[in-house]
Amino acid sequence: MKSLSLSTRMIAASVVLAALVAGVFAVLIYAVVTLDNAREREAATKDVRTALVGLEKLVIDLETGLRGVVLTGDARFLQPARAAGRQVDLRAGELERLVADNPTQLQRVRELRLAINSYVGDYLEPMVNLAQENIAAVRQTLARVEAKRRTDDIRRSFNELQSTEDRRAAASAASATTQSRRAIVLGVAGLVACALLIVLFGLYLARSTAHPVREAATAATRLAEGDLSVRLSERGPGEIGELTAAFNHMAEELESQRRELQTQNEKLRESERRKSELVHIVSHELRTPLASILGFTSVLLHRDAEPEEQRRYLEIIDREGRRLSDLLNDFLDAERLDEGHLILEPELIDVSRVVTEQVRLFEGQSEKHELDMVLPPTPLTVRGDPNRLAQVVGNLLSNAIKYSPEGGTVHVVAEQENGVVRVSVRDEGLGIPEDQQERVFVKFFRGDAPASGIPGTGLGLTIARSVVEAHGGSMNFESDSGEGSVFWLELPTAAAG
Amino acid sequence: MRRLVYMLALAAVLSVPGFFYAWSGSAWSSGAVTGPATIRITSREISRVWVDVGRPGRGAGDTEIVRHNLFNRRIRSKPIGYAEFVCTLTTATTRACNVTIFLPKGRLIAGGSIQYQDLYELAVLGGTRLYDNARGTLTVIRTTKKPRRHILLFRLAG
Repeated sequence: MKSLSLSTRMIAASVVLAALVAGVFAVLIYAVVTLDNAREREAATKDVRTALVGLEKLVIDLETGLRGVVLTGDARFLQPARAAGRQVDLRAGELERLVADNPTQLQRVRELRLAINSYVGDYLEPMVNLAQENIAAVRQTLARVEAKRRTDDIRRSFNELQSTEDRRAAASAASATTQSRRAIVLGVAGLVACALLIVLFGLYLARSTAHPVREAATAATRLAEGDLSVRLSERGPGEIGELTAAFNHMAEELESQRRELQTQNEKLRESERRKSELVHIVSHELRTPLASILGFTSVLLHRDAEPEEQRRYLEIIDREGRRLSDLLNDFLDAERLDEGHLILEPELIDVSRVVTEQVRLFEGQSEKHELDMVLPPTPLTVRGDPNRLAQVVGNLLSNAIKYSPEGGTVHVVAEQENGVVRVSVRDEGLGIPEDQQERVFVKFFRGDAPASGIPGTGLGLTIARSVVEAHGGSMNFESDSGEGSVFWLELPTAAAG
Repeated sequence: MRRLVYMLALAAVLSVPGFFYAWSGSAWSSGAVTGPATIRITSREISRVWVDVGRPGRGAGDTEIVRHNLFNRRIRSKPIGYAEFVCTLTTATTRACNVTIFLPKGRLIAGGSIQYQDLYELAVLGGTRLYDNARGTLTVIRTTKKPRRHILLFRLAG
């Protein structure tokens, strides 16, 4: 299941928190409303009590008025009672309005109103009239008993109304108290839950956001200080995971770019080194033949030498001039190889013939060396540039002679096998140390040759291998330090091709 | 005509219990007055006959027969019944009375001694049909002199 993003989690947590806060506030508001209702109920009860007291006072006024008339026979005592009688309906109506929310109480008030009106109409008024006609009749015990019965009924109604209102107020107050306590408990629980949630949310944020961000900041600092190997643990929700992944990707890219830069820097340094070496080689390699040419030319110009001697000097100048020419050709070939402009002029040639010519050319260059050549009786036909292949074979023979300073036999074998013409040149010279073997074909690499005073540019083998590979062949060697080396090349036969 | 009277009687029968209920606020079963109830009706005296017995003039033994029409104005303007008072003077100022109240669903019988005719109380002694075995008091208050009108208040115990 795909994990929720950080923003989604934060929104969800906020929604939960908001819902909890809203719930707590709803409970508190409910409690406040309940208390408010209880207060209103209490106020309504007070109003009902006040109205009841007012109505009861009217009844007392009625009773008192009647009693005054009965005792004195004077109708003036009835004035307060008549005033009270006129207000009964008004006060009773007000009372009905106050208890309108309670049908039972409303019914009681209506009954009370009827009872009072009945008291006035059915008893008080007739009794007043009788008092004026027959005072003895209204002073009899029965009158007091009847009055008491009626007023008792009315007072009973008052008491019932009053006690019911008291019970309602008490119940409302008790309910309000209960609700209030419940609201306090729920409110406190809600607040504690909110606080816990906030703390948990904070911890979660610290763990899921602040901690990874702090780690990212530390890692960024280390990165800025150059430690490109620093990586972040790709954990964390959504955006944090993306941030750490992006950071790691950035660090990898930076590290890769730095490696590339280092490589390029190394190449530049190597190039610079080679350039210096080239300048050194060129200056060294050119200086020697140039010195010979200039020296012998000066001798010829300023001294009268014998013709024989002149000829010998001119031969030296010619040889050194050719050597200069070869050097320059090597440099040009190396340049062409670098630029990929090596031009071949292929034709069908017999490799045995090329080898024979080169062996004969190099025979006699050193008295210490002997060249042993083994060729097959049949032609070794390949398609190639005869001059370039001659250059390659000549390079191998030249190296075999140069790197066998103590002399010895140079074995040259040309053969054909499995559609491949193979030419190998084995010397009995210094051999190539194992740690230098892999750089033998590198341009300008000369190993220990400079220290040994062996001349050369370090371009010959590089050019030779490139020429062979340009013919579709391959070139390699085997060597044991101190026991000589075997260099060979293999070219596809023309018949096979 | 006979049919009209019959219907009026039926209406009275139906209306009286409703009035009783409205007045008393007590429970009212469909069959009979089975519990405490207060019945208020008004009356108008329609006849009074004095029978002078013995020595002429007012004295013990004289008999007075009074007839009232009974009303419940909230239900109908016509009489819902009548009452017959048969009183015998026991002294010059007191009399022993038997009252029969004829109501649509039965009769109530009351009796006792009356000193003042404007305000007196009698015992309800019994009844018939709906008021079978009725007990309680009947309080009578005169409200007007001419014509003589009264309020009859029955307080029935059961």
